[in-house]
Amino acid sequence: MTAIFKREFLSYFRSPVGYVAIAIFSFLSGFLFYSQFSGNGVNLSSEINSLRNFFVIIIPVITMGLFAEDKKRGTEVLYYTTPVNLFSVVMGKFLAASALFGVMFINVFIHMFVTKICGGSVGVGTWGSVIVFFFMAFMFISIGILASATTDSQIIAAIFGFIMILVIQLISTISTYFGNTVTTILGNLGVNSETAATIGSKITDGISWLDPFAKTQDFRFGVFSVSALMFCLSVTVIFLYLAFRVLEKKRWSQG
Amino acid sequence: MIEINNLVKHYGDKKAVNGISFTVNDDEVLGFLGPNGAGKSTTMNIITGYLSSTSGTVKVNGHDILEEPELAKKDIGYLPELPPLYLDMTVLEYLNFICDIKGVKKSERKEHLAKIISMVKITDVADRLIGNLSKGYKQRVGIAQAIVGNPSILILDEPTVGLDPNQILEIRKLIKTLAKSHSVIISSHILSEIQAVADRVVIINKGKVAAIDTISDLSKRLSGSSKLLLSFKGPVKEVSSKIHAVPGVVNVASRISDGDIHELELTVDSSAASDVRASIFFAMAKNGWPILEFRSLDPTLEEIFLSITSQG
Repeated sequence: MTAIFKREFLSYFRSPVGYVAIAIFSFLSGFLFYSQFSGNGVNLSSEINSLRNFFVIIIPVITMGLFAEDKKRGTEVLYYTTPVNLFSVVMGKFLAASALFGVMFINVFIHMFVTKICGGSVGVGTWGSVIVFFFMAFMFISIGILASATTDSQIIAAIFGFIMILVIQLISTISTYFGNTVTTILGNLGVNSETAATIGSKITDGISWLDPFAKTQDFRFGVFSVSALMFCLSVTVIFLYLAFRVLEKKRWSQG
Repeated sequence: MIEINNLVKHYGDKKAVNGISFTVNDDEVLGFLGPNGAGKSTTMNIITGYLSSTSGTVKVNGHDILEEPELAKKDIGYLPELPPLYLDMTVLEYLNFICDIKGVKKSERKEHLAKIISMVKITDVADRLIGNLSKGYKQRVGIAQAIVGNPSILILDEPTVGLDPNQILEIRKLIKTLAKSHSVIISSHILSEIQAVADRVVIINKGKVAAIDTISDLSKRLSGSSKLLLSFKGPVKEVSSKIHAVPGVVNVASRISDGDIHELELTVDSSAASDVRASIFFAMAKNGWPILEFRSLDPTLEEIFLSITSQG
């Protein structure tokens, strides 16, 4: 696992990918930090939470090549024909992408440091936002890894990852839309309008239960929830396991 | 030692490998020969654990590749058709990475790598990026990767494909060196390739074993119908009849004529006591017909298949 981690992490810096990701992140975080100077006091939580909106671009870019490139170059043979364990390969790559996120996040730590020495507030809420940021990054990275494991084309992996992450980011909108549609259809079918509205809202609630943003929204106020973090962690583990299964299935494929 | 027993692999309806069994002994070079699409790569991929078989077993030094994959894989070094190289790493970084995933101990690593690097002769390029190396060097790095961790068995899938003649000779030499201390399975669709290095040959066709034999026995089997090509200047009819009269010549067929230069294809009964070539030379010389070219026609793989299937 360490070997795979080391290789993948360093390979980010052998190609432009790592530098570009860091540059984009630095620009965005710097801009978000700077844009708060005119207001009364800097709100770091708001900066960190806004940065999460860019996961949909950054994460597909840093995860798309993790397995797709190996498949294309034929280097995946190494994972199957050497004594290395396939799940530790998945973990190594996951940790490499997560570590790159850690490096990118140094920007925000600098902002926190600057805010602190200038007398701004860096409180429990800020640290809560940092924790949420990383747990969500883990979750989306595991999704990107699954996308990369399913194909030998980086572009397809990026698009697939982009769509999955976008769906999760928009899940509260999607759930409302879906619930309203069901209500309308039931109404047209002659169902009592009150019942239709109840069923619709139940569906909305059901889908939006999956929304990690809603689950973690109180962290920024310093209200921590273990179950929310467990949710993110479980999703991460599930997607990593799926990626592992996809890779293992290849060996058994009869197609 | 590898024991392969009744290997079958389906791809949809197609049977890529259909009941292949053979054994590779210790310190033996086994040639694995077959036309493109015969199932060579699939079989090798199954032996190395890259693919699983639909049925059948592979045992590497007694360890089943599916039941004890880690023990079995430790004994195998594999060079697939496309060498598994990271183009963004230097040769040394790459080999260190391979040491990591193959679990070579840190304390032994330096010595182990130094030995491998000098063996496959990549000392000069050890610090260069793999992406910038020539194809021949890439192939050497691929072989180096296979021998990291001292596996007792090497499996090389078409190791000389796409190389220039000089590189082919060098890779062959390297394989011969490696064969002194390893069992080697080497695949190819070119007969001379296998002849140059292998002790024994497995010929497969359409997913089945067509023949398993030593090279010398195989050529003996084929020797009943060896052919010679004769190119000369002179009257074609007279020459044909003169040569036909030479004892041991079974058939004479005209191939190409260009002005007064002709080519004849001679079928020779090579079980005859004397070598017909000397008699033919003297017959031509006596009549003042200059020989421009005179060589044996190597049996092509197709001919071997035809001959093997017609015999069996």
